[in-house]
Amino acid sequence: MDRIQLAATDRSPRVDFDFATGHLSLHGESYPEDAAAFFGPLLQALRAYLADTSATPIVFEVGLAYFNSSSAKALMNLFMPLEDAAEEGRAVTVRWRFADGDETIEEAGEDFAADFSYARFEMVREAA
Amino acid sequence: MLARDFMNFFDASRRQGVILSFGGDISENVLFSLGEVLKLRMSQGETDASVAKRVFAIFVEQAQNVIRYSADKVVKPSGPQASLISNGVIVVGMEAGRFYVVCGNELPDPDVPPLRARLDHIASLNSDELKAYYREKLRQPPDEGSLGGSIGLIEIARRSSAPVEYDFQALGSGRSFFCLKAYI
Repeated sequence: MDRIQLAATDRSPRVDFDFATGHLSLHGESYPEDAAAFFGPLLQALRAYLADTSATPIVFEVGLAYFNSSSAKALMNLFMPLEDAAEEGRAVTVRWRFADGDETIEEAGEDFAADFSYARFEMVREAA
Repeated sequence: MLARDFMNFFDASRRQGVILSFGGDISENVLFSLGEVLKLRMSQGETDASVAKRVFAIFVEQAQNVIRYSADKVVKPSGPQASLISNGVIVVGMEAGRFYVVCGNELPDPDVPPLRARLDHIASLNSDELKAYYREKLRQPPDEGSLGGSIGLIEIARRSSAPVEYDFQALGSGRSFFCLKAYI
C-alpha cells in the first residue's frame, strides 16, 4: 500500500501512515473544517491495510495538542479496527503522546486506553 | 452622534466583560480567525494555560454547532460540510472572574424538543457521569441528523466549570431561537 504523508495545516495534523514499516502517526492539532472528509480516507486506507494478510507489527503514534469532538470520534473509528486486529493476533501498539501538565490530553488518552484489551496502549509523557 | 452611539454600544459590551463578539454569517474560516485572535488575547492576558485551552475547546464546539445546525443558512447544505455558512451569534466574555462562551442561532421548531431533552439529560449528570456518557457516545455511530460525533454538547459540558445554561425562544415562524451559555 502507498504511504500516506500529509503536511500539518493550521487545523489538521501531520499524517504519516507508512504501511510498509507499520509505523503510523498523527501529530499537531485537529479541528478540520470537515472531519469526515479529512479522516475518511485515512480510515479507508487503514481498513484496507488491516485486511491485508501481512503480519507486520503496527505502531500508531498519536501526538495531538488539541482535537475537537468530531476528531475524537474519528480517532475512535481508527482505534476500533486496530483493537480488532490485535484481538486476531496482530501486534498493535498505540503510543499516546501528551505534554507534561496537559491534563486534558492525558485524560483523553486514559479514556481511549480503557477501550483497549488486546492492543498495547502506551501513555508517553513529554516535556512541555 | 455616530461616534457616540457606537461608543455607547461598545462600552456597554465591554462593561459586560465581552472579549469577543460576532453576530452574523459564520463559516469555518470565520471560526478559525476568531479562534486565532481569542487564543492570542488569552495568551497576552496571562490566562492560565489550561483555562485557555478549555475556553478555546468550548468556543470551537459552540461555533461548529452554529455552523452545522443553524436554520438560517447562506449556502444550502448540499455541498461539503466545510462550505456551510450559517447565521448566528457567538460571544466570549468574562463574568466575576470566569470566562463564558455563549452561542445563539435559529432552529426549526421540530429540533427543539430533542435538543432540550439532550441538554436536560446532560445538565443532570455529574462529572463522572458526563465522562461515562461521553465514552459511551464515542463508541456509538452518530445520531441521525448529526454532522459531527453527537458528542459536542457533552464535550462543552465536560469542559465547563458549572452546569451549562440554555434557553429557547419561539419566533412564531416555525423557528425558535436557541441559546447556550457555558462557564469555564
